[in-house]
Amino acid sequence: MTPAVEAHDLGRWYGDVVGLSDVSLTVEGGIVGLLGANGAGKSTFLKLLVGELRPSRGTIRVLGEEPFANRRLYQRLGFSPQQDALWADLTARETLTFLLRASGFARPEARRRAGAALERVHLVEAGDRRVGTFSKGMRQRVRIAQAIAHDPALVVLDEPLNGLDPLARRDTLDLFRALAAAGTHVIVSSHVLHEVEELTRTVVLLHRGRLLALGPAPEIRALLDRRPRRVAIRARDPRRLARALLEVEGVTAVRLGDAGLLDVETARLDELQERLPAIAARERAGVRSLTVSDASLDSLFDDLVGGVR
Amino acid sequence: MKALLSATWLLFVTHLPRLLRSRRTLLVLIVALIPAAIAWIVTSVALKRSPSPGAVATMGGWILLMQVVVPLTALVMGSAAVAEEVEDRTLTYLFTRPMPRAALLLGRWAAIAVVLTVILALATWLFLVAAGRARGEGPQLDAGVRWPLATAVLMGGLAYSAAAAALGAFVRYPIVIGLGYAFAVEGFLANLPGKNQMLTLQHHLRSWIMAQGSETWSRFEKFTTAGTVDARTAAFVLVGVVVVALAVGSWRLSRREFLLSA
Repeated sequence: MTPAVEAHDLGRWYGDVVGLSDVSLTVEGGIVGLLGANGAGKSTFLKLLVGELRPSRGTIRVLGEEPFANRRLYQRLGFSPQQDALWADLTARETLTFLLRASGFARPEARRRAGAALERVHLVEAGDRRVGTFSKGMRQRVRIAQAIAHDPALVVLDEPLNGLDPLARRDTLDLFRALAAAGTHVIVSSHVLHEVEELTRTVVLLHRGRLLALGPAPEIRALLDRRPRRVAIRARDPRRLARALLEVEGVTAVRLGDAGLLDVETARLDELQERLPAIAARERAGVRSLTVSDASLDSLFDDLVGGVR
Repeated sequence: MKALLSATWLLFVTHLPRLLRSRRTLLVLIVALIPAAIAWIVTSVALKRSPSPGAVATMGGWILLMQVVVPLTALVMGSAAVAEEVEDRTLTYLFTRPMPRAALLLGRWAAIAVVLTVILALATWLFLVAAGRARGEGPQLDAGVRWPLATAVLMGGLAYSAAAAALGAFVRYPIVIGLGYAFAVEGFLANLPGKNQMLTLQHHLRSWIMAQGSETWSRFEKFTTAGTVDARTAAFVLVGVVVVALAVGSWRLSRREFLLSA
């Protein structure tokens, strides 16, 4: 079976700026999450994947085809770009009908499919309103609808959950699952790990234009959970608290900062959180606040690449 | 070829109504009506020596319509053909569809050409109506004044707009380069004495007028120091500019990648 995506030494740079470098991977199909912090190269990778850009080096094949300006491939590909751009003066229905006709469907079939796609993204009632009057989340749903309306074999979605409210987000995740269940390959980019986790086990991790990992989401989550975490604690008597915290299992370092601030590093966040109230009470340290440092991908990436920099 | 034609038709029928309700079209319409307004004013105020209808039509037509309104309106409209999709970042949707990329340029330019032709025809008609109000003695507003001017205006509109549309396949801001070329280069060359005039579209538009027009136009011979070409050659060059511009623009569009920011 032809893989959905195959890339070999794929690289793309913009002048002196590296967008993507030496990415080699094979994506078989199903739902794949493309994960990375802002500027990691996700959009560059997706633009190469849908043939909007040419590689500066290496090769990429999508459903067995080279993607740049490949009309045969575009019959089997749906793409929802990250940019919040649509024809503001067209209605959602007109937008979809126009793009379906550009995909080669006759007018009646294009209209039928446009209606069905609007239904799938819950925009039937707003379908005859101009897109320029839509909220950000509604425009996002129009972008998703145009990507799936022609029943492509591969749907590529760049940050498709941006701007969606929790309800629409849940519906959209269900939609992606339904597409995958029907045999469509779905590639979804995101910079939020738990979004991808909800959707798929297969994650492609990009960082600073490079492929960092390709594998199951739980392993990446475990990596995130195992890494040392930093906790900032503000207390009335930070010195007493610092001495006591060194007894807690997993705490590897405690630093005194300004204005009653303690910077605690621990490999067992759960243990620290469980024991802190009792320790604070015993030492009469007067804990005023506790902040766990950012658990986003950025810090995970920094940890992961820390050893190779 | 069938795919190109049907995609071009789709782009044409989709873009035409959008164009009719766009602010750009309204702006172009207002600019195009300026010569008619000026002619109306000139023929309404009491001058010491009133001009004849033919004098108003040829002078205003030669300077205002041909050298200002036609390049300006055509470049403003034409430059939007590709550049607007790039600027609005909607190009992605069209370039990831199984249709020839050239259809974007051809279809949208065709819609622009229709709207521009209607606007320029209306502007020229109103201008000639206003010029016809002049009461002075001298050359009159006969068919030898009207038709060469009207056809030159329309051909100029098509040629300039096709060039601007094609430019959009090469550069991000074709309007800037197009207007710079039309006024700083072509406007300059066309009015400089010497053979350089032959390199301009204006020269061929003027040649068309001189070859087709009545005696009334003959007083502008002093502006065509390079001599004029016959009407057939002028028409061939103008049509050739349209065809070559669209062909080169289509070729470029089919191969170029566009960087659209998120």
